Amino acid sequence: MLEKMMKSKLFGWVDERTGAEAIIKSQLTEYQVPKNLNYMWNFGSLALLVLVLQILTGIFLAMYYKPSAALTYGGYTVAFDSVERIMRDVNFGWLIRYMHAVGASAFFVVVYMHIARGMYYGSFKGPRELLWIIGVVILLIMQGAAFFGYLLPWGQMSFWGATVITNLFGALPVIGGFLQEVLRGGFAVGDPTLNRFFSLHYLFPLLLAAIVGGHVHALHVVHSNNPSGLDVHEGKSTIPFHPYYTIKDAFGVGVFLLFYCYIVFFNPQMGGYFIEVDNYVPANNLQTPPHIAPVWYLTPWYTILRSFESKLLGVLAMGASLAILFVLPFLDKSKVRSARYRPVYRQMVFLFFITVIVLGYCGHSAPTPTLKLIGQLATTYYFAFFLLLPFVHKFEKTKPLPEEI
Amino acid sequence: MKLKQFLTVAGMTLALAMPFAAQANEGGVALKHAEVDASDHEQVRRGLTVFAEVCMGCHSAKYVTYKGLMDYPEIGLSREEVDELRGDKPLTAGMITDLSPEDATVSYGKVPPDLSLIVNARRGGANYVYSILTGFESDPDGKIPDGNYNEYFPGHRIAMPDPLGWLDHDEADTAELEQQAEDVAAFLTFIGDPHQNERHTIGKYVMIFLILLTIVLYLLKKEVWKDVKH
Repeated sequence: MLEKMMKSKLFGWVDERTGAEAIIKSQLTEYQVPKNLNYMWNFGSLALLVLVLQILTGIFLAMYYKPSAALTYGGYTVAFDSVERIMRDVNFGWLIRYMHAVGASAFFVVVYMHIARGMYYGSFKGPRELLWIIGVVILLIMQGAAFFGYLLPWGQMSFWGATVITNLFGALPVIGGFLQEVLRGGFAVGDPTLNRFFSLHYLFPLLLAAIVGGHVHALHVVHSNNPSGLDVHEGKSTIPFHPYYTIKDAFGVGVFLLFYCYIVFFNPQMGGYFIEVDNYVPANNLQTPPHIAPVWYLTPWYTILRSFESKLLGVLAMGASLAILFVLPFLDKSKVRSARYRPVYRQMVFLFFITVIVLGYCGHSAPTPTLKLIGQLATTYYFAFFLLLPFVHKFEKTKPLPEEI
Repeated sequence: MKLKQFLTVAGMTLALAMPFAAQANEGGVALKHAEVDASDHEQVRRGLTVFAEVCMGCHSAKYVTYKGLMDYPEIGLSREEVDELRGDKPLTAGMITDLSPEDATVSYGKVPPDLSLIVNARRGGANYVYSILTGFESDPDGKIPDGNYNEYFPGHRIAMPDPLGWLDHDEADTAELEQQAEDVAAFLTFIGDPHQNERHTIGKYVMIFLILLTIVLYLLKKEVWKDVKH
């Protein structure tokens, strides 16, 4: 079909003026990809899909949403009322909003799987260092966008979550107080905070779209890694992206949509994980909820924060836990990429994944002394994983690599 | 091989998620189970009656308009019924109690919460509402006066006086009071998300479509890939 279209007169006209044929060939029909990619490689295209869904649903939500903390009847606010208006009175507003709210969690599920795949198969290693670093930037912007977005319904969790997180910046020396005030637009979270968070919540996805473009471009320069970790760019071990991976990605999209739509239509709150119970209570600055926890996708880092007695240390550790991702490609010095052939790294990285899940669990639960200890142990391993990496290659006996894939 | 690994990880994730479900109801006391069906026209209508006659003495449901009571097929009141219910309030007004916040503060010490979203806003949802309504007892320690002690309320001291007259009710009335509590819980479940039944109906078609689409895409993928040797 694509070939037929490319032979048409109209396409010829466009091609003369844009070079479209060369782009399609170099990026799709003649872009060579290793033939042995498994289904873990589907999460990149899924992340792109969710990003597009989030931007589209977000545009429609912004047509009805009103970022104002002005009080209305019964202790509610204009912002909270406008969300309920979307849920009740706007035609299919409930669908758009549930797609957006579930989409936020789906985005993180997909991206965390994508990152885990990159770590397991060593996709971050040379020559893909910059590709990985751009990916970490995307993760940080995503977390920012999600955090800004969670304030918008102006429920209890929105309000207190934003209060806790903006408080963190206040713990930094010298610039802390200033930074906190700039973020909040005042001394406490209030109407100005809501307005600037709405503005930033609209800005960040646009940044994401641009940086994702850079991520894909960087990928197409260095080419895809593959489960064996061998360098395969051409020849009989590779196949063109289109039609092979376009159809495989399309099948992945089908499977993803099955899960996504099931949640959107039958369990959009996901038992309080995707939309928290307390966020159905309007924000009240005089009443702190009994247990404040961020949404699940931020809880691992929240646990790292809570693992330290000193607030400043906690904030620094949390920052470090994200910043250390940037240098991962330079910490790992092994010549072998894939964990398939690295017995020690394989154990380490699996334990790392479990650790992140444990951190997430601890961050979501109400703090108890046992959970705090578990959280501290998990935090220790989180950092130990990265700090041990530079030494692993010295004693790790890698398995023999295959000649070809 | 890869599939096995994936399943192992997925299994571990699920195992870790189990304690989350277990602790969903914080506060200790296990809630009573309520038979609630927000798509049951009869039950939601009965619940509306309880809500209008009992709850609305103090509570509002500001996001539910009188017009909505006509428009939502699950309720579908006639114009006459709505006119009787709303008195001289406009059709587009929300269901707002006649008790002013000031008077409420004088009588009960606080303003009763709006009930539009109460089922979504409480852990346990409809079960919580049902348990509270049928949870008025005498304080075993004798500290909290009768009518302010509720077995299921966090801390047990509740500002809301026993609305259905559960405390000291006749044995013969138990079934009817429980029915009223379940009905109003069903009504509140419905108004918490008034498009939920429509959502479930559409959702079934969406799932059927997606299953077919995914099967077709899988077959297409197999067809395209059949010449690739592994």
